[in-house]
Amino acid sequence: MSKCRRWLILGAAVVIAAVAGISYRCGSRIDTDAILAHSVLKDKTFGVKVQQVEADGIKAYLLEEHSNPIVAVSFMFDNAGSAYEPENKQGLTALLSEMLLNGAGEYEALQFKDIGEEYGIKLGFGASDDTFEGYLQMPKDNLNMGVKLLTAALYRPHFTLDYIALVKKQLQTAIRNHTERPEGVLADKFSELIFAGHPYARPAIGKPETVAGLNRGDLLNFMRTHFTKGNLIIGIAGDINAAEAEQLIRDLFGHLPQQFADNTLEEYKISSSGAMHYVERAAPQAITAFITRGTHRNSKDFYPLYVANHIFGGAGLSSRISKVIREENGLTYGIYTYLSNKKSAVMLAGGYASTPENFAKAHSLLLEQWQQMAQKGVSKEELQQAKDALIAAHNLRFASTGGIADMLVAMQQYNLGADFLEKRNDYIRNLTLDEVNAAAAKYYAATPDFVIIGAPTVTEKGEK
Amino acid sequence: MNKFLFLLLLFMLAGTADAAMFKAEEFTLDNGLRVVVAENHKAPLVKHMMWYQVGAVDEFRGRGGSAHLLEHLLFRGTKKVSGEEFNRIMEKNGAESNAFTSYDVTVYHQFADVSRLEILMALEADRMQNLNISEEDFEAERKIVFQERKQVVENNPASPFGERVRQMMWGTSPYGQPVTGLPEEITALKYTDTLDFYHKYYAPNNAILVISGDVDTKTLRPLIEKYYGGLEKRPVEREVPAPQNEKIHQSLQMSLPHIATPRIARAFMLPPREQMQDMIYAYDILAEFLGGGETAELYRDLVLRKRLAVGVSAGYNYMTRSNTVFRVSMVPDTDKGFAPEAAVQTLNAAMERAKRALTAERLAQIKRKISANLVYLKDNPQTAANWIGYMLSMGFSLDDVQNYEDKIKAVTLADVKQAFAALSETADMTAILLPQQDDGGKNE
Repeated sequence: MSKCRRWLILGAAVVIAAVAGISYRCGSRIDTDAILAHSVLKDKTFGVKVQQVEADGIKAYLLEEHSNPIVAVSFMFDNAGSAYEPENKQGLTALLSEMLLNGAGEYEALQFKDIGEEYGIKLGFGASDDTFEGYLQMPKDNLNMGVKLLTAALYRPHFTLDYIALVKKQLQTAIRNHTERPEGVLADKFSELIFAGHPYARPAIGKPETVAGLNRGDLLNFMRTHFTKGNLIIGIAGDINAAEAEQLIRDLFGHLPQQFADNTLEEYKISSSGAMHYVERAAPQAITAFITRGTHRNSKDFYPLYVANHIFGGAGLSSRISKVIREENGLTYGIYTYLSNKKSAVMLAGGYASTPENFAKAHSLLLEQWQQMAQKGVSKEELQQAKDALIAAHNLRFASTGGIADMLVAMQQYNLGADFLEKRNDYIRNLTLDEVNAAAAKYYAATPDFVIIGAPTVTEKGEK
Repeated sequence: MNKFLFLLLLFMLAGTADAAMFKAEEFTLDNGLRVVVAENHKAPLVKHMMWYQVGAVDEFRGRGGSAHLLEHLLFRGTKKVSGEEFNRIMEKNGAESNAFTSYDVTVYHQFADVSRLEILMALEADRMQNLNISEEDFEAERKIVFQERKQVVENNPASPFGERVRQMMWGTSPYGQPVTGLPEEITALKYTDTLDFYHKYYAPNNAILVISGDVDTKTLRPLIEKYYGGLEKRPVEREVPAPQNEKIHQSLQMSLPHIATPRIARAFMLPPREQMQDMIYAYDILAEFLGGGETAELYRDLVLRKRLAVGVSAGYNYMTRSNTVFRVSMVPDTDKGFAPEAAVQTLNAAMERAKRALTAERLAQIKRKISANLVYLKDNPQTAANWIGYMLSMGFSLDDVQNYEDKIKAVTLADVKQAFAALSETADMTAILLPQQDDGGKNE
């Protein structure tokens, strides 16, 4: 019971307290709305606009920001992530991410890395399910050297057999270590069970035996077919203007092949019915991930569901489920939900961890909240609070130059348009209670499926 | 303002062209609250951090976890902001609000649009002295920190190894105990003890406020006075536990379930910061030389040349008010089998070879690398606030923060060699973590 409610009870019981409480709004006696209204800091705005730049037929988004002499480029090759590896070549994109840094052009591996560090150049690669991604950041003065390193990696990687053998061994160690922690087991089992039969079911960095079979030809083949202008998305941010950005695009990506055969994976339609998948493992806490169907980024349901999720499980300690399951009942250290949009699967998902004796109670409270969301939706006050929060947090995305470049990539990946940042707050502001509650009714109708990595006691007690 | 002019003058006199790391100013309020304002005008954002100079080492014996539990309680209401209101207001204002407890400090921090800064200050000032917690709140929060201990520490199968290493290295010092407290301590914590801790240590004269972002001191100082100036100073006595001075050599070998790969760590206990003085920077460089990424000497030697390891690392932790600790670690290549003693010898032999590889050229290169990366510290206002807060809390001055690059540049080859040699004359620990034989590290 919150102290707020205790106050009301006391207020009703004691006349004097009730009279004294006439002007007393339950909650805060610090008027934060008034503080905001009068703050001398309230009129600062971020007026920088996203520009679209183009060179050699390659388009990119640019956000100029000249306060710190750093340039950041983020890029991705779409439909080139781990789910796009050939069937028996799992771990290929993980191996490729590392191998691109182990010697290229005129530089041996050590030289390549030494130069990068001496020039303050941050260069790296990585793969998600859907995409192969890279980033290049450097002090403005070292732009040319940054270009030299990245072009060497993209066009003239060495892929020496010696380094391939070493990195394969490092990957195999990482794969084994990945499941030391229950979170790692959960990630693998979750993919395996939820996406059964689809490439998303594969473990992200492969299996020791598939990594063992990878070779130099696999790396070259994958690059040739997946690193093209046709599936390239670029975001550029920092101390650079449009003309310089266009030259940068030409220098970095102008020599990639044009062609890209669309190979988008089949859509995986998630359905859930409250299934409980238990995986036995002795540990102090059981840990779970749960999932149901979400919606595509460009669907009209997206913002209504986004806000509904924020209220339900996305708002940290203030979310409904966190208030009930953590704050009031102390059953977990954290519980949350989020929307996740893979290219070929859209999800409304979440997770928590609890000691075995708490687990079932947390589960039933979560389902109770879930059903309530579907049946009653959210209140007008909750919607207003969520809108205020999301609009006030808008500028937090501009904290780091690298983060801005990543965001520019995401804006293009999801086709949000170059004016997205100007429109985004209105998308939130204009939502109606009916729209949000229609989304709540639609998406919270199905009970999520759970994957649980747990102590044996949980498994025995598990309700099916 | 004067301070800044003085700094500028100092740089001119010293004949160095290097600018200070951050555009930052420090001042102290009459009630003893130290304040640092660091400017970053990239976007209308602000990081607001209150660094209380109290942590897990200040707990009463057997009351492990009380500093951390108190940290949680500060989100549960004051005389003016009831119950869940604190979290609701933070959320409504789009602020990312959190806190953490370490051995030496307890830190409350928010990241928000700068328009909300006054709200952050009003609430942070309020909970410095007006905490109003019921026994029910206390019990609810105790359950949460118990779950936190289970989730963050105990669910990690390597944790018993890490905790045992700490305990052996620090002996009876409070630095040997876990910050979270042991589970049996958490369940035994008392409401009154925890609130006593609050009243004893939470005061403006025992805190450092760091604000970094789209702000300037001229505008901010009157606001800081307005929100924090009225807080009452009170006597705070804080004893920093005596450093661990026993020069003993210890070793530990531990097999644990779920562990898949053996690892070896060596830790060297060095004197506290104030005794180390500028040798801090020599060890910073030594850590970079031995284990800073895939160009470091141990990586070249053990991973690339000899193929005896798949990974190595090194680090120097001086963010503590007690002994500083230097460590190196290795993930051995187990393809051709693994013998713990041989692996330790491998690591030690590589350390010896590294002494010969430490040349003036390598030192110059490492200095260039450190300098080249400093520009990123100025990028995200959160990074600056964190670094300044930590350094000042550990007893460094703002000048030390600002002159970091010069301090690094001033380190000589003889300094690093001396630092390296001193590792064999101090208390140390060799620790080996192994998969448990009966499950062979196989998971599930």
